[in-house]
Amino acid sequence: MNIEFGPELEAFRAEVCAFLDTAPTPAIREAGRKLTSVFGQFEQVMEWHRILYKQGWAAPHWPAEHGGTGWSVEQKYIFAEEYRKRDLPPLLPQGVGMVGPLLIDIGTQEQKAKYLPGILQGDDFWAQGYSEPNSGSDLASLQCRAEADGEDYIINGSKIWTTYAHHANRMFMLVRTDNSGKKQHGITFLLLDRMDYPGMTVRPIVGLDGFPEQCEVFFEDVRVPQSGRVGAENDGWSVAKHLLKHERGGGAQSPTLKRGLERIREAAQHTPSGFGTVLAEDPVFQRDMGELEADIASFEHFEKLAVSGHPIASDPAYPSMNKTMNSELTQRVTVMLTQTIGNEALPLQLEALRVGANARPLGTDLELIAMPWYLNSRATTIYAGSNEVQRDLIARTVGREG
Amino acid sequence: MDFTFSGEQQMLRDSVSAFLLKHYDFDKRNAIVRSEAGWSRDVWGQFAELGLLALPFAEDHGGLGGSMADLIAIAEPFGAHLLAEPYLASVMLGGAALAKAPDGSSAAEWLEKIMTGEAIAALAYEEGAGTPDPAMVGLKAAKTADGFALSGEKRMVLSGRDADVIVVAARGGDGKLALLTVDPAAYGLTITPFATIDGRRAAHLRFDTVALPTDALILDDAETALRSLLDRAILALCAESVGAMGALLKQTAEYAATRKQFGVAIGTFQTVAHRLADMKIAYSKARATLLYTTALIDAGQSGAKDIAILKGQTGKLGREIGEAAIQTHGGVGMTDELSISHFHKRILANDALLGNAEYHLRKTGTL
Repeated sequence: MNIEFGPELEAFRAEVCAFLDTAPTPAIREAGRKLTSVFGQFEQVMEWHRILYKQGWAAPHWPAEHGGTGWSVEQKYIFAEEYRKRDLPPLLPQGVGMVGPLLIDIGTQEQKAKYLPGILQGDDFWAQGYSEPNSGSDLASLQCRAEADGEDYIINGSKIWTTYAHHANRMFMLVRTDNSGKKQHGITFLLLDRMDYPGMTVRPIVGLDGFPEQCEVFFEDVRVPQSGRVGAENDGWSVAKHLLKHERGGGAQSPTLKRGLERIREAAQHTPSGFGTVLAEDPVFQRDMGELEADIASFEHFEKLAVSGHPIASDPAYPSMNKTMNSELTQRVTVMLTQTIGNEALPLQLEALRVGANARPLGTDLELIAMPWYLNSRATTIYAGSNEVQRDLIARTVGREG
Repeated sequence: MDFTFSGEQQMLRDSVSAFLLKHYDFDKRNAIVRSEAGWSRDVWGQFAELGLLALPFAEDHGGLGGSMADLIAIAEPFGAHLLAEPYLASVMLGGAALAKAPDGSSAAEWLEKIMTGEAIAALAYEEGAGTPDPAMVGLKAAKTADGFALSGEKRMVLSGRDADVIVVAARGGDGKLALLTVDPAAYGLTITPFATIDGRRAAHLRFDTVALPTDALILDDAETALRSLLDRAILALCAESVGAMGALLKQTAEYAATRKQFGVAIGTFQTVAHRLADMKIAYSKARATLLYTTALIDAGQSGAKDIAILKGQTGKLGREIGEAAIQTHGGVGMTDELSISHFHKRILANDALLGNAEYHLRKTGTL
C-alpha cells in the first residue's frame, strides 16, 4: 500500500493550480459560483471549454492521439480534484464525456474526422436523444421510428429530457428501425449533424427550479443521412450500452461533494441554530455533518481505490455503485445546505442566478443557489439510469466479490 | 497510490484464511466459545508459531515489525471466522501498551511472553460509555511513599479475567495519564468476569486503593502513546468488522439465491434485491475506508478525524449490513444456530468498544 501521489505529481499539481487560478474569466467563475446543476450556464461553460482546449486540457480522458492529455490516472484525479475545489463549472458531458469517447471507440474514420475536432474544441454541442415520454427506465421500449429511404432515414416520434437541446447544434439519438423481434433488437444509434432539419422542433421544459434545462424534441418526417449511423442497423442497443460505460461513474466526484460541505460549514459559522448558538456549535448539526462527511469520505476512498487500480474497480457493479453513491450524496449535501440556509432559501431569484445579472442577490451566493441546487439535484437519482435500475444491476453481482 | 496487498501480505492472508478454514469452522469455533476457557490455547499456540502474535511489534522489541497493512491482512479473516481468541486484547491493546514502555522497563519481559503466547495481556482503559477519549479517563493513580495507589473502576476490559498482566491507564496526581502494570492477583483488585454477547471473555475491574511498587509505572505522560495505540487497535477492530461484513454479504447473497418462497428465489423480489444492493454498497464503502485509513496510518498521515471516520462508518455500515442480513434470512436469521446472528453481534460489540458510531460521527462533525 502507498498513499502518496509521488513528488513529480506534486509539480504537476502546482502547474494545474497555476492554470486554474488564472485562466477562467470572471464570467466563468461567476457561472461556477452560481452552479445549481451538473449543467452550468451554457455560454460560460462553452467559453471555458474553448479555453481549456487551447491549453490542451479539454478532454483529459481521451487517448492522446485524439487530443487527450496522455495523463496518468493519478494526474487525471489531481486535475479533477483541483478543478472542483475552485467552484469551476464542469464541461458539458454529452460531447467530451459521451459521444466523443464512443466515436473514438467504434466510430468510422469518417465520423471521427468529421465530429471529434468540433467536440474537442467546444465548437459543437451535442444533445442526447434517448428517453421518450413512454420509455424512461425501460429505455429499450423506445418507439421513435426511423424508416430507411434511399441513402436516408426518415424519423418520426419524439425524444424527451434532452438536456440543453435548445442550445445544441448536433444530436445523437436512438431510434427504432425494426419492431419485429425482441425490444433490444431493432434499435439504431444515429448522429444528427444539425438540429434544424425540416420537421424538427425543440420545446424547452421549465424545470421545478425555474430553468429550462431539459427539452422535448419532436420529429415529423425528418430526413437525415444514413452515414450518421454508428454501428450496424438494429444494433444500436449494444452501441448505447457501450456508451453507458462512459456515462456512469468514473473520475473524481467526491471533491465536488467535499466543496459543498465546506461551503455549508462556512455558512454554519454565522447561522443561528434557533437554540441560542450558531449552527456550527449545535450538537445535532455537528452529528448530521459528521455523518454526511464520513459518508462522503468513504465515497472518496472508494473513488481513490478505483483511480489507483484496485480490483474494486473491476467489479461489474462498480459504475452503478459509483453512480448510486454520488447521486445520493449529492442530494444529501443539497438537503443539508437548504436546512442550513433555512428560510433565506425561499426568495425566488431567477434573474440574480443568471451570469451577468442586473439584479443583485438578496443575500449570499450560497443562499442564492441553495434551493435551486436542491431542487435540481432531485434529478441525480433519476437520470443516467434511475437508482432503482442501478440497484437491480448491483444486486445481480452480489456475492461474487473478489 | 496503491491500496492492494503486497504479494507477501496476500500470502500471509491466504495462510491465515486457510488455517482458520481448516481448524476454525463455525462448529469448532462454537465448541471453543462454549468451553470453560472460552478460547483455545492450541489455536493461540499456532498463531504464535505462525508469527502472528509478534507481527505488529517493532523489531527492536523482538517483533516482526509488521505494518498496519500486514495487520489488516490477518484481521479481516479473523472477523470472517468470528475469532474468539484474544488477539485484540493481548496483542493490539495490552501488548501494544507494554511496547510503549521505555527500554529497560519491566514491561519488556512481559512483552516477550506476549509474543511467544506464554502470557496474555490486557489493557484496562475504558470506564464506561463516557471514555472513548483518553481525556476522559478518571481512574486515579495517587503517589504514595513507595509507589502508587490505584482507585476507581475499569469496565469492559477484554481478557480482564485471563490476563497475566494488566496495563492500566490512570490519571496521576499531576493530571497526566500514566500507564501502569498491575498483577491480576493484587490486593484490592476485584475482577468481575463475564462472556460478551459475541463470544469473547472480558471483565469489569474495581480498584480499591491497589498498592503498586514504583516500577509498576511503565509510561508517564502517556496520552500521545495511548492515542496512537488506540488508533491502531481501532483499525484492527474495524478490519475484523469488515471481515464479518464481507461474510454476511456473501452468505446472504447465497441464501437469497437459493431460498424459495412463492415458487421463486427470494432474491428475485425487487425489495430483497435492492436490500442486497444496499448491503454491497455499504460493504464497499466500509472496505474502501478501511484500506484507505490503513495506508494513511502506515504513511504517518492519519489524523484524529480519519480514525473517527473509520470507526463511525464501520459501526454504522456494519449495523446496516447485519440487520439487513437478519431480515433477509427471516426466521433462521433470528437463531443462534446460524452464523448470521453471530456476525451481527461481533459487529455490534466492535462498534460499542472504544467509542461507538454515534460518538465518532459527532466527533467527525466537530473536527
